[in-house]
Amino acid sequence: MHLNFKSKLTQLLAIAFMAGIFTSCDDDNDFEINYGSGNYGITMAYAPSDGSYNYTYRTVRYESLMDGTLNNINKGTEQLGYFSYTQINDMIFSPGGLELETLETIEDVSNDELRLRTNSYSFNASIVDFVKAGTNTAVAVEMSSSSTVVRLHLINTNDASVTSTTETNSSLLSPYTGPAYSGMAVSGNYVFLSYYVSNPTSFATDYIDKAEIAVFSYPELEFIKVISDDRTGPIGGFNTLSGLMKDDNGDIYAVSHTNKANGYSQFNENAGILRIKSGESEFDTDYFFDFNADGDGNTTAHLMFLGNNKVLALMNTQNRAEQASWSDAPLKPAILDLSAKTINYINDIPEFSGSGRKLTAIAFQEDNYIYLPVGEDDGIYIYRINSNDYSATKGALLECNFVAGMYKF
Amino acid sequence: MYSATLHIKLFFATTLLLIATSINAQNFGSVSGTIKSSSGEHLPAVNILLQGNSHGISSNENGNYSLPNIPSGKYMIQASYMGFENYSAEITITANKNTTHNIVLEEKNIKIKDIQVNGKSTTTKINEQAYTVTSVSSKGLLNSTASAKDALKKISGIRISEDGGLGSTMNFSMNGFSGAQVKFFMDGLPIDNSGGAFNIGDLPVNMIERIDVYNGVVPVWLGSDALGGAVNIVTNKQLNYTDISYSFGSFNTHKASINTAHTNTDNGFTVRANAFGNYSDNNYKVYVPIRDGNNQLLYYKDTKRFHDRYRSAGLKLEAGVVKKSYADELLLGLMASANDNEIQHGATMETVYGGIVRNSRSITPSVRYSKQNFILPNLDINLFSSLNIQEQEVIDTLRGVTYNWLGEAFYSNNDDGELSRTNTKLNDILSSTQFNSTYHFNKEQSVAFNYAYSYFNRDSYDSEWPDKIENSMPKSLHKHIGGLSYQFENHKWNATVFGKFYALTANTSKLFDYALSTERTEAITTHSQNFGYGAAAAYFITPTLQAKASYEHTYRLPSADEIFGNGLTVDPNPDLGPEQSNNFNLGLNYHFRINEYHHLNIGGSFIYRQAKDLIYTVVQVANPITYYENLSNTKTTGVEANIKYQWKDIFSLSANLTYQDITDQTKFIFNNSYSGNNYQTNYHYGYRLPNTPYLFGNLNAGLTFKDFAYSSDCLSFNYLISYTKEYYLTWSKNDKYIIPKQMAHNVELSYSLKNGKYNISANCSNIFNSRLYDKFYLQKPGRAFYIKLRYTL
Repeated sequence: MHLNFKSKLTQLLAIAFMAGIFTSCDDDNDFEINYGSGNYGITMAYAPSDGSYNYTYRTVRYESLMDGTLNNINKGTEQLGYFSYTQINDMIFSPGGLELETLETIEDVSNDELRLRTNSYSFNASIVDFVKAGTNTAVAVEMSSSSTVVRLHLINTNDASVTSTTETNSSLLSPYTGPAYSGMAVSGNYVFLSYYVSNPTSFATDYIDKAEIAVFSYPELEFIKVISDDRTGPIGGFNTLSGLMKDDNGDIYAVSHTNKANGYSQFNENAGILRIKSGESEFDTDYFFDFNADGDGNTTAHLMFLGNNKVLALMNTQNRAEQASWSDAPLKPAILDLSAKTINYINDIPEFSGSGRKLTAIAFQEDNYIYLPVGEDDGIYIYRINSNDYSATKGALLECNFVAGMYKF
Repeated sequence: MYSATLHIKLFFATTLLLIATSINAQNFGSVSGTIKSSSGEHLPAVNILLQGNSHGISSNENGNYSLPNIPSGKYMIQASYMGFENYSAEITITANKNTTHNIVLEEKNIKIKDIQVNGKSTTTKINEQAYTVTSVSSKGLLNSTASAKDALKKISGIRISEDGGLGSTMNFSMNGFSGAQVKFFMDGLPIDNSGGAFNIGDLPVNMIERIDVYNGVVPVWLGSDALGGAVNIVTNKQLNYTDISYSFGSFNTHKASINTAHTNTDNGFTVRANAFGNYSDNNYKVYVPIRDGNNQLLYYKDTKRFHDRYRSAGLKLEAGVVKKSYADELLLGLMASANDNEIQHGATMETVYGGIVRNSRSITPSVRYSKQNFILPNLDINLFSSLNIQEQEVIDTLRGVTYNWLGEAFYSNNDDGELSRTNTKLNDILSSTQFNSTYHFNKEQSVAFNYAYSYFNRDSYDSEWPDKIENSMPKSLHKHIGGLSYQFENHKWNATVFGKFYALTANTSKLFDYALSTERTEAITTHSQNFGYGAAAAYFITPTLQAKASYEHTYRLPSADEIFGNGLTVDPNPDLGPEQSNNFNLGLNYHFRINEYHHLNIGGSFIYRQAKDLIYTVVQVANPITYYENLSNTKTTGVEANIKYQWKDIFSLSANLTYQDITDQTKFIFNNSYSGNNYQTNYHYGYRLPNTPYLFGNLNAGLTFKDFAYSSDCLSFNYLISYTKEYYLTWSKNDKYIIPKQMAHNVELSYSLKNGKYNISANCSNIFNSRLYDKFYLQKPGRAFYIKLRYTL
């Protein structure tokens, strides 16, 4: 060993440098998942910064929705991709969308727990909607304007299993290419499914002169017929899944808006609400809630039935001719009375832009209160609406990119 | 097409001009001889130089040398060799005559004990450049079943992720830069000139002399717009050699390559040929869910991949003259390649396909000219021009069929393809010209000017959708990249400053008013211009300790596929601009010996990068078609370290480790949902990028026994462990979304006879049959065996 002091020192420094590198690398500790606790739940969605649709959906329980700032970052159940949410009994059903063809469930919500489970069943296409049918049953639908078939599944809501499946050629619904799903409701022996015709490539809506609903038998899910009504235009719109709703009596209400803000390229019929009486399978010719004649001309693509003829509606306050295409804005909440045909605006809530998602998934009712997330300039806030006096209280600030689901357990 | 025709004409005009220059010749002679030590030993690898001519060569293994094509006249011949006194003598070269001049070198009269011979190989010299560069010689890999990709995988900071087996899509990443942000070159020329099969996964290692990896700052002479680094694959430049190899193994994998070069020392005429063929069924087992015709999950099973065959073949021919007075190198080249690839699954293994195929064919004529002392003394130039004509096909024409992982087909009335019904043909033309010139003021200082121009044109047609409007729109691209640099070099310093200019003109089409009644596609032209700059320096603190620092402000211009789309699932984005990055690197390298047997080399580097306007894939809600957009910002801080110990020629142990913290620095992200077109808070600001390993390394141990059973045979044994720490699959820090820690063990045994003339090697990869994953949980092959036979001349 003929090493002088200088080279010894350099060696020492070199080794120290290496050692520093090797030891400084290990960080990131294990992570305990915090599911939260309480009787409320929120699914918040977080955008990826790569511009893809791979949003992260996280569901967490909360004690209160009215105070402070809430976020689900690094908490709760986590789903990656595109998901929608429907709470039925003790379970949240969460079918994947946009190439995800699985059905996931968040279970045991009543036991102060959240347990995410991926169902073994994967569908041929994404489940676009999930609607409660009987006590322990739901109907799920696969349908898109680019597909030639409509598939309906009867789901056992206790274990999320598929009981039966039917396949209907979409040419039975419309002679034109591209019937697109807009809403579903189950009443008595019938499944009602509303749709509108949208060109699969241009999304142009060329056929808008009548409302059409496909009627299927329940629980067999066999196609029966298509009913139509030319008092208004097609039922429902793009992605809002709110074309049809059922009231306490089993009556079905169908809304037509032909809003440019919700996927229509043109309109010509009056907007309004039609009815199918419980037990019937035809439109009620005696009922039409005409938004022009009975209201102020504003239309709505988002409805949630509250009980006693009352409905929460997010009214688009812009004239249909002036609406910005695909904007789902500007919206103002209101309480409609289906019987009195009145519209009462909730003036405590400012106008906001919708997320284009299903209203019944992101809002819920507790007694005479409705909890609704509203996007404002400085963030998304929860508002608690009093459906009796049409007032609203501003609640918690939600740190997320959008709300995909809100629940009362 | 006017422009394309013009470029073809230009290409042939350049070729003719260069051939014409070659007819003008002078009177030449040659000198040859044998070099021995004073004790009578033949000395190989002695450097011989003719002063005033700059011709130089090394003696061969028998101590012979030959310098052809020397203009007649008087010269000083010099010879130098480690441990021997320098030699010089005057010789006279006579026209059309060979002069014989034998040399005897005297051993230096110094006790060897106190001398450290710092003989430097080419790779060492490359490694000592001011740039952060790692050069790997293929020497140790020639008998292995490796491809260029496998050689690269061993370098610190580099990750190569793969979708599957041979021929699968690879994503090369270097300190967080990936895809087109890292440019590949073969002999200094962009590798995307070379067509489908000339990629790092297909190139046999026997075709390669060494691979230089530039981390961060990319030298001006590579003439490119890389963002995060560059990889230059240097092919074998020996004047005369033949290397034939064939390997076979698991998954019905066969690889064959023939590499040869012949040079006539009298007239300098040289022919080089590289040919290879690869085949694999890639039918390795994966653990996947098995579903029935109703898409119902039946069970999970280890099953073989069934639709993943890959075939490729390539031929590279170069012929011309070397070491002439008018050209150091004047070579005409022709590359041809073809490949054919079955597609087993999409970006994740959720979707399985049984009928989708891609294939490509390309042909590339080229001309290469280089000359030192061109017109002026000390002015070196080289010029390369090529024309790549490529045809690609993507076929997804099965209707109403879906497959499960068992390869069972299920039929429905659906009219769609498996992924997106198409039968698209893309006809691409890419003409590239690159000019490099360097003027040496003196031994220490030089300036270099570099200019690269490329023109790309695409015609696409989908027979399943003949009216697709984008296919009728123009798709052409002009790129100009110029660079000017100053270089200073002496025994202690190696430094450079440079500026680069980037210009891009794209003729393409744009979709206006998506999903509105006014929706239309129009032809448009866009331009962009940018300036980049940087500096790099390396300094020997002691003769064995070198420090390096470099900084670059750089741009990458979008690629043809990013602007024009791929005719299938990617839409064009005519507004796509360059992405940019500020790269800073700091490195230290130290080597020392403890007596004459133990040699240790330690190196480390620190990396800091700030990148913005990164070109990202945007997936739109309710639309299966994607496009590219300039989006987010990232920051990378990282360190790399490597250590190598060598005992005699017998044992070596090396390790490297890379830590890279690549975080999202985008505060606001664009809301792309159909109802929103605004910026929103990025709640993952500062988070580490998912699907990107942040701590990984390799450990390699080798044993070599020379003259093992007979004289001039050699037995060697290599053991490689590669390690990746678990990393996140998503933006969250949830344990459920972790890609687990990976540890792969590979072993290789090789034996060669007659100084490496006959070779056989056996390789077992993933010995413990570990379940290995790549990004997005893609499964990699389990244990596999390969045998390679190689013959060299």
